[in-house]
Amino acid sequence: MIVFDRVTFGYNAKPILNELSFQVDPGEKIAILGGSGEGKTTILKLIVGLIRPDSGRILIEGEDITHKTEEELNDVRRKFSIVFQAGALFDSLTVKENVAFCLREYTKMTEDEIDAKVRELLRLVDLEPAIHLMPAELSGGMHRRVAIARSLAVHKPIMMLYDEATAGLDPVNSDNICNLIVELSSFGMGHMMVTHKVVDALKVADRFLFLEGGTVVFDGGADELLASSHPHIRTFVDELRYQPKVSGKR
Amino acid sequence: MQIRPLISSLQDFYLLSYHGFLGIFRRPFYWKDTLEQMDYAGAGSFFIMALVSLFVGMALSLQLAAELAVLGLKMYIGKVVGITIIREVGPVVAALVFTGRVGAGMASEIGSMMIGNQVDSLRVFGVDPIKKLVTPRLVASLVMLPALTIMGDAISLIGAWYIAAFVSNQSSYVYWSTVRGVLDFQNVFSGAVKPFMFGYLIASISCYMGFTTRGGSTGLRTSTTNAVVMSIIMIIISDFVLTRILLYVLGYKT
Repeated sequence: MIVFDRVTFGYNAKPILNELSFQVDPGEKIAILGGSGEGKTTILKLIVGLIRPDSGRILIEGEDITHKTEEELNDVRRKFSIVFQAGALFDSLTVKENVAFCLREYTKMTEDEIDAKVRELLRLVDLEPAIHLMPAELSGGMHRRVAIARSLAVHKPIMMLYDEATAGLDPVNSDNICNLIVELSSFGMGHMMVTHKVVDALKVADRFLFLEGGTVVFDGGADELLASSHPHIRTFVDELRYQPKVSGKR
Repeated sequence: MQIRPLISSLQDFYLLSYHGFLGIFRRPFYWKDTLEQMDYAGAGSFFIMALVSLFVGMALSLQLAAELAVLGLKMYIGKVVGITIIREVGPVVAALVFTGRVGAGMASEIGSMMIGNQVDSLRVFGVDPIKKLVTPRLVASLVMLPALTIMGDAISLIGAWYIAAFVSNQSSYVYWSTVRGVLDFQNVFSGAVKPFMFGYLIASISCYMGFTTRGGSTGLRTSTTNAVVMSIIMIIISDFVLTRILLYVLGYKT
């Protein structure tokens, strides 16, 4: 469904991705791991066409999106929902208005219908009581949950993209977000989560890519990841030793 | 300074301001956002604009009274103050105040939306960020800056009258009749055209600088500062160019 074919990308002549190639099949639950600045978020932005590769091709459901116009990309973007780091909620809008944003843009729903839909989505992320709060009044975890609710408002994506969904959260909130991600995947959506936290990646994914030097140095399952002898992967995996208990799937 | 990035930036600025302007005539129309921006830019700026205009008018009147008294021409305070304020000082002062309050706000608001991925969110939702963010601000500036300029001019003239009447002991009747005398088509037209150009420049430059914000709070500081500095420079330069053109068009000899 998603194919990266020798994709190269850099910011201001600083190379980030170097002839990166991988493929993601429909419904896959995948985690992209790697250090800061390795291009994890860049991959998500390339998938939804927010940035364009310097060279190489990106295919979404067999369609090359590399040279599509901004309007043509809207069709591609409807296939995904992306939850940015920290949620990217609109500061000037309440939780309700944030979740209702796309409903107001793209549907002709009445105010009552919008209210019912927003409450349904907020119930899904366990945040209905926060419906009238402003983003500034929410905790980090609540931000992410509202962002997830907002991303599901208009259409059901074929894949959810999470950019560091648990970054900066305490273990309890991280666990809540991971559980929510797993719960949403039970509705038939695949997901791709970018993270540097192996413990969270293990909870939500069954396939792992590890990025280093702008390319994939590891692509495999949880057992292979944990047994990898690659020095940087070992550094990431060794963090698990300090976790008293790793719950969730492997 | 490198030429290619400069040309690229000018091209991006042109495209942003062009598409922002075209957005006024194309669906969808973001009425609520436009009204919010008009309220912020217009009603929100009125008090500071009134305060600044009042004291500019009073200072101008004091300065001119001192000079005109030497020549025995104090009765012309109203005429000179009126022309100066309506044609030149009023529009420029209003634009500078507008830049400081509204332009800086536009750049920092859009800048923080860039940093917080909110602009990317809009694009992912299929919403054109220029239509949603730039056009309402452009409309607000094009409507509210001329309105604020007219109110500022009136308040400046009142401030100048206060000094002329109560400090320079001039007749109020003479002051207001000479002011009324300068309110002809040429002077009013000269003063009315400029705020539209200034409003367009301030909104375009500020929004553009907001969209170029990169990095964290330092990037936001840089883009906001650049928005204010570039707007001020462009206001002063375009004021000179417009004055030259208007004087020519209206048949003044210089």
